[in-house]
Amino acid sequence: MICSTNNPAIKRYNYRAAVVMTLYVVFLLLAVWVFKLHPPTGVAAYALAVLPSLPIVGMLVVAGLYLAEEKDEFIRNTQVQAMLGGIGGTLAVTSVWGFLENFVHVPHMDLYLVFPLFWVFVGVSMFVVKLRYR
Amino acid sequence: MKSGRKSSAFRRYKTRSVTTMLLYVLSLAITSIGFDHFRLTGLAAYLLAILPALPILVAMVVVGLYLAEEKDEFVRSFWLEAMLWGIGPTMALTTVWGSLTKFAHLWGMDLFLVYPIYCVFVFIATAVLKRKYR
Amino acid sequence: MKNRLRVLRAERNWSQADLAERLEVSRQSVNAIETGKYDPSLPLAFKLARLFETAIEDIFTDEN
Repeated sequence: MICSTNNPAIKRYNYRAAVVMTLYVVFLLLAVWVFKLHPPTGVAAYALAVLPSLPIVGMLVVAGLYLAEEKDEFIRNTQVQAMLGGIGGTLAVTSVWGFLENFVHVPHMDLYLVFPLFWVFVGVSMFVVKLRYR
Repeated sequence: MKSGRKSSAFRRYKTRSVTTMLLYVLSLAITSIGFDHFRLTGLAAYLLAILPALPILVAMVVVGLYLAEEKDEFVRSFWLEAMLWGIGPTMALTTVWGSLTKFAHLWGMDLFLVYPIYCVFVFIATAVLKRKYR
Repeated sequence: MKNRLRVLRAERNWSQADLAERLEVSRQSVNAIETGKYDPSLPLAFKLARLFETAIEDIFTDEN
């Protein structure tokens, strides 16, 4: 995402993202700690396991809200391009790595890494898009 | 979008994507049979394992070509919107499932399924958007 | 799309940043439109036309 501080939509995004990411760290630490010391069972185990992924889903909402609130159509256009690049890269890597895992047993990539992988590719795409519109 | 007049770009997309899907099925068969019947190692194993991923990469290029070739700007923005909406649920599902797998030891999901899952969500999005733009 | 934005800006001594401020968009937006790498939407095109007190067709050249 652009690091400018004049755009109100981006300021709001940065604030919300910070809140959500903090919640993610807190929930993750909580889940790891509880699973280590008092491992729950049954429904409680599932609920606690899902807990850290909720702020991640929240991150999607934050990103969606940003796209809806960004008034500058050109910037929104470049962000959309970056997101498409993000999903393209993610799908390519998961497909290739998934088949390698299945047939030649390369080290397993955890499923929840798909979302961070997506953001990595969004960052790369953002860089490429900025080059294009220099 | 009940247009009987599908654009030439769309017709080209349909031909190309059907071809790639057939190539995908074929390469999956080749790879599965190859690994079942031959004791493959080293580079040969890796190359054969990647084979089914190649049509998937080509399929993404085919989609990209369609977006670039589609002259109708509304239709193009319709597909862009659907593709963006597909990202959210895909990321949410992989994150929650991955969390459950890691912490609550739910059964894992094959990584290469991320791509078909995304396609399903994009398809659902087009159904919703078609009603929105009725 | 080819356009006369640079000329119109120069006539009023506006930088890209000045124009961006008046249009309430980013400077990157103005640069992308000016260099023909991005076509503005209708509302934005009308905003430009009103700002320069001219018609959209006098700013942008439809090459067809």
